[in-house]
Amino acid sequence: MLGFLSARQTGLEDPLRLRRAESTRRVLGLELNKDRDVERIHGGGINTLDIEPVEGRYMLSGGSDGVIVLYDLENSSRQSYYTCKAVCSIGRDHPDVHRYSVETVQWYPHDTGMFTSSSFDKTLKVWDTNTLQTADVFNFEETVYSHHMSPVSTKHCLVAVGTRGPKVQLCDLKSGSCSHILQGHRQEILAVSWSPRHDYILATASADSRVKLWDVRRASGCLITLDQHNGKKSQAVESANTAHNGKVNGLCFTSDGLHLLTVGTDNRMRLWNSSNGENTLVNYGKVCNNSKKGLKFTVSCGCSSEFVFVPYGSTIAVYTVYSGEQITMLKGHYKTVDCCVFQSNFQELYSGSRDCNILAWVPSLYEPVPDDDETATKSQLNPAFEDAWSSSDEGG
Amino acid sequence: MPGPADVVRVSASPPPLPTLTGLRDDKLTPFSSSPGLGGTPGETVRHCSAPEDPIFRFSSLHSYLFPGTIKSRDMSRKRHHLVPETFGVKRRRKRGLVESDPLRGEPGSARAAVSELMQLFPRGLFEDALPPIVLRSQVYSLVPDRTVADRQLKELQEQGEIRIVQLGFDLDAHGIIFTEDYRTRVLKACDGRPYAGAVQKFLASVLPACGDLSFQQEQMTQTFGFRDSEITHLVNAGVLTVRDAGSWWLAVPGAGRFIKYFVKGRQAVLGMVRKSKYRELLLSELLGRRAPAVVRLGLTYHVHDLIGAQLVDCISTTSGTLLRLPET
Repeated sequence: MLGFLSARQTGLEDPLRLRRAESTRRVLGLELNKDRDVERIHGGGINTLDIEPVEGRYMLSGGSDGVIVLYDLENSSRQSYYTCKAVCSIGRDHPDVHRYSVETVQWYPHDTGMFTSSSFDKTLKVWDTNTLQTADVFNFEETVYSHHMSPVSTKHCLVAVGTRGPKVQLCDLKSGSCSHILQGHRQEILAVSWSPRHDYILATASADSRVKLWDVRRASGCLITLDQHNGKKSQAVESANTAHNGKVNGLCFTSDGLHLLTVGTDNRMRLWNSSNGENTLVNYGKVCNNSKKGLKFTVSCGCSSEFVFVPYGSTIAVYTVYSGEQITMLKGHYKTVDCCVFQSNFQELYSGSRDCNILAWVPSLYEPVPDDDETATKSQLNPAFEDAWSSSDEGG
Repeated sequence: MPGPADVVRVSASPPPLPTLTGLRDDKLTPFSSSPGLGGTPGETVRHCSAPEDPIFRFSSLHSYLFPGTIKSRDMSRKRHHLVPETFGVKRRRKRGLVESDPLRGEPGSARAAVSELMQLFPRGLFEDALPPIVLRSQVYSLVPDRTVADRQLKELQEQGEIRIVQLGFDLDAHGIIFTEDYRTRVLKACDGRPYAGAVQKFLASVLPACGDLSFQQEQMTQTFGFRDSEITHLVNAGVLTVRDAGSWWLAVPGAGRFIKYFVKGRQAVLGMVRKSKYRELLLSELLGRRAPAVVRLGLTYHVHDLIGAQLVDCISTTSGTLLRLPET
């Protein structure tokens, strides 16, 4: 570390290298810390978490009780012991609260003034953060499993919605109506994700074992259906291509958008090249997945070798993305973990599970340096020599 | 207030072995308890005395047989092993001189693993009518890094040395067969039958050209010039199995018996672990037991498959490798 600092100082190395090396080291040291806590508000399991991309300060959580809570993650107190407090929440007494479980929440990608939430009550609601009122509601015929808004796009405000029906709907926030339907899947859509690299590229994962990449500007069907066996591309019939041997539950693009990770109920995780749809054949081993709905996993950002954090039963498994090596299993939850998010500024991981807890995994590298005031007040006597006699004993 | 416990790691280097050194230089670490809920670092290691020599040699024999199992259960220590790497400090380790036989491939590679496993296949059981089949999961138990194993198998597939075949019982289970063995057995099986012509045409034209697991309608009719009747002949011969409308998997004729024995044997060996107290068994004890009559393919064959398919967890202990059923 000192070598890196002096190299950076003298200009021998790029400053980015030190940043990446230190971020990787911090991610490798993630564990539960007694000093870090998240306030417990939810009465049901937590289905989804999202941290706003602008500052990385506020986190939204959506639960099976329909409640949405907003937390402030920043530690502005001088002490090391800190509980992330809930700033506000949309509880059961709110007139516009979702009637059933909230499946996905997402901040508006460009500022924290707005967020969207979708739920099993067949609606997608757009909320104004400051007043906590719904600005708009989109109604669907089927329960909504997942929605996503493009994190990079400035040209469109489309929200992709995956429901129990086989059609992917694109809702336009500007006009307030569903503008597009993408047809191609045969069963329910469990996860949708926009590419962080291209404005118009969308990936959808469905229970029919297929993952499709779409360009939403195209009138005809999808661009690519991912094939796990990397068969010949010349075949016109793509109907036999499957990405997994079971339902595909979760999708995550890497932070540069060049690769796509998918998990399925066949207990496998696959890494795909997102430009040509090729299976890179990186083998992560068995990634247990029993979830009947979507599984929300996440990738680290800013490390020299990226890591993927996948909920694995009641633990979180950490793998390196490009080599498939399992680094560790983070144990701490009592029940199944449903979602996790990574805060890339401080390399922290937050995970929510069915035991109604959100746990914060913090890099722990050094022992805390004791304060000067503490040593002055601490007794210098060895406890063995301390007097156990007390004047109250004498009274009898 | 307890201070951080000293991390005492007792490790000894295994005797140098000429082949199948899939061992990483982490060596055999003594059994240590996994970190508890939010435990602080440094409290996770139990002090262990150095293992005695005879026991150690025995357990190293099992690491020779199953090098893919030597994975430290204590995952958190492995993270700290990666930490100096990220800062560019690489400890150069001198690896002992290893003879590499160019025919067998690099020791620890997929090619060597496949050859090794082919020896375990009981040819006599099928009267030599079936080519020796090895499963992909068995290769994983011998080659510790799965991605490397997959890539090497793919290279071998592209060079045409092996064929990968979809075994019907599980979409994930792929059988690996040497192309030569496959060709000779299929020709022998279809000798004198009405579909012999179509099969020979298939073996001569399609097999060398297309290394995939499956074939599509357009491919067969246009590129290779097969008529529908010939395709039906191929399905009757057992060389192709129907996958979907207009696409077929490559198959091995007569593999039904093998698959039946395999599935039954796998369940039986897994049952042996399940019935033991605490649902765990030492590998040495499992291999020493008498195989139940249902297990026709051999205990070692099935154990390789179970370890590679992660149907049992492998934990290294001071008495050798322990196989335990996963909790989930």
